[in-house]
Amino acid sequence: MIEIIHPGIMSLVVDGGRYGYREVGIPTSPALDLYALSSLNHLLGNGGNAPAIEAFGEKFSLRFAKDVCCAITGAKVRAILSGRPLQSWMSFTARAGETLTVDEVREGFRYYVGFSGTPVLEKIIGSYTTNLECRFGGYRGRALQKGDRIDLEDIRRVGVKRIAEEFVPRMTPPHTLRVVEGPESNYFTDESLAEFLGGKGRAAFTVSTKLNRTGIRLDGKPLAFRTDAEESIISEGLLPGSIQVPGDGLPIIQLHERTLGGYARPALIAKADHDLLAHLKPGDAVIFEMIGMEEAERLFDRKIEIVTSIEN
Amino acid sequence: MNISRYGEEGIRILFGEKIDLEIHEKVRRYYFFLKSLQLKEITDIIPSFRSCLIIFDRKRTSYEALAASLRDKEFLIAHIDIPEPNTHDVPVEYGGESGFDIDFVASHTGLSEDEVVEIHTSVTYKVFAVGFMPGFPYLGILDQRLHVPRLETPRLKVPEGSVGLAQLQTGIYPFESPAGWRIIGRTKKKLFDYNKEPYSIFQIGDKVRFIRA
Repeated sequence: MIEIIHPGIMSLVVDGGRYGYREVGIPTSPALDLYALSSLNHLLGNGGNAPAIEAFGEKFSLRFAKDVCCAITGAKVRAILSGRPLQSWMSFTARAGETLTVDEVREGFRYYVGFSGTPVLEKIIGSYTTNLECRFGGYRGRALQKGDRIDLEDIRRVGVKRIAEEFVPRMTPPHTLRVVEGPESNYFTDESLAEFLGGKGRAAFTVSTKLNRTGIRLDGKPLAFRTDAEESIISEGLLPGSIQVPGDGLPIIQLHERTLGGYARPALIAKADHDLLAHLKPGDAVIFEMIGMEEAERLFDRKIEIVTSIEN
Repeated sequence: MNISRYGEEGIRILFGEKIDLEIHEKVRRYYFFLKSLQLKEITDIIPSFRSCLIIFDRKRTSYEALAASLRDKEFLIAHIDIPEPNTHDVPVEYGGESGFDIDFVASHTGLSEDEVVEIHTSVTYKVFAVGFMPGFPYLGILDQRLHVPRLETPRLKVPEGSVGLAQLQTGIYPFESPAGWRIIGRTKKKLFDYNKEPYSIFQIGDKVRFIRA
């Protein structure tokens, strides 16, 4: 069993996601950094999409009631286990009675804490992940709070492992996000689209404070709609990573919580860069770089290969 | 029908450019056609007013291969069995604390509150899409006389069961949620249950009648 001593700014139970029911509006709500989740589960000998805790902010702390292996991936943090400093992206063994505290987030935003055992939680619609808005899944459908206890079963001893440095992503701003063309790119003026892309290496936007697990709103120069274009579309199926532009022209990067959307989509984040979206924090500069679909596919396939090579 | 690419994992199939019953029937037929194929490489299908979005698994197939295979099977579309739509009666308590925007709707449209309710309950609506949030039905087509704009700034919270209007649509919030639609009433009917299938009582093509509670 583990007991939450401090939930950080926010923490919740996530897994690989809830699939197959977007036709009735049930979003996938996965870990925002799926690469970090699968690396974590690799370190702990779990299946790649097994549940873990997604957290952000300092002070996250939990107490172990049993001996178990644990690891932290995602944002690079400094953690303390009963007085001993620990690195992220490597596993360690915690003894019953010890306390783990994250005391510094050095790079990135969201981090993932997992265990070499199965949390005793109920699967809802095929998944352990939390749907925060509708309050189901995860731990009682809500974010974790001080005093919450999660039992672990099938605890296995695993050797201490580390993810090689070359496989740990860079998460420092400015963030370069590669994008592919969206269905409504022709709703915007050419000049405005060129500015949106900001030219090679120039950041046109910063992450605003309006940011949560549903979407990331950006600040910068608003996009301009063509005079003959509507400012909204008939609501239709929405892919995670789509950049939506409402009437005020300021882009919102849609994450995984919406299945339909009614705003024009000039572009969407290339799949290979979706994990990086978990690490955008208020004030970070964002550079968009348009790439072709072939390159986007190549990058995504390469990422799938890396995950497979880490897992083997 | 127009097949195009949307991201690395999406195929967008467009059937038209407006909210229209004929386009809706094409979307619905295509959705059941896709379901009948039971393709493992398709992770999710999102049917809506004028399109079907297919989300596929890149580890199992490619855009080109899947799009070609769908074109090959298109001849089946005319022959598949489409389930009869379900009809749902939804009792609504209109106005007052449950329907706090009904006075706005009345003054905007120049109708009395009773007339708003009468018009709203006089139509059998079609479910054009379910989504944005779990189990939320986009219902149409609303009587022109009830056309109201969305809120400029959405409310942070409306209660579960709130019945709203926006342009020529009406809908019901299955969960307490942020909302940009004008709320005219509330239902106690359970619209979504994550503990048993079908999780959403509504699916595309279903019919909905509102009844004054």
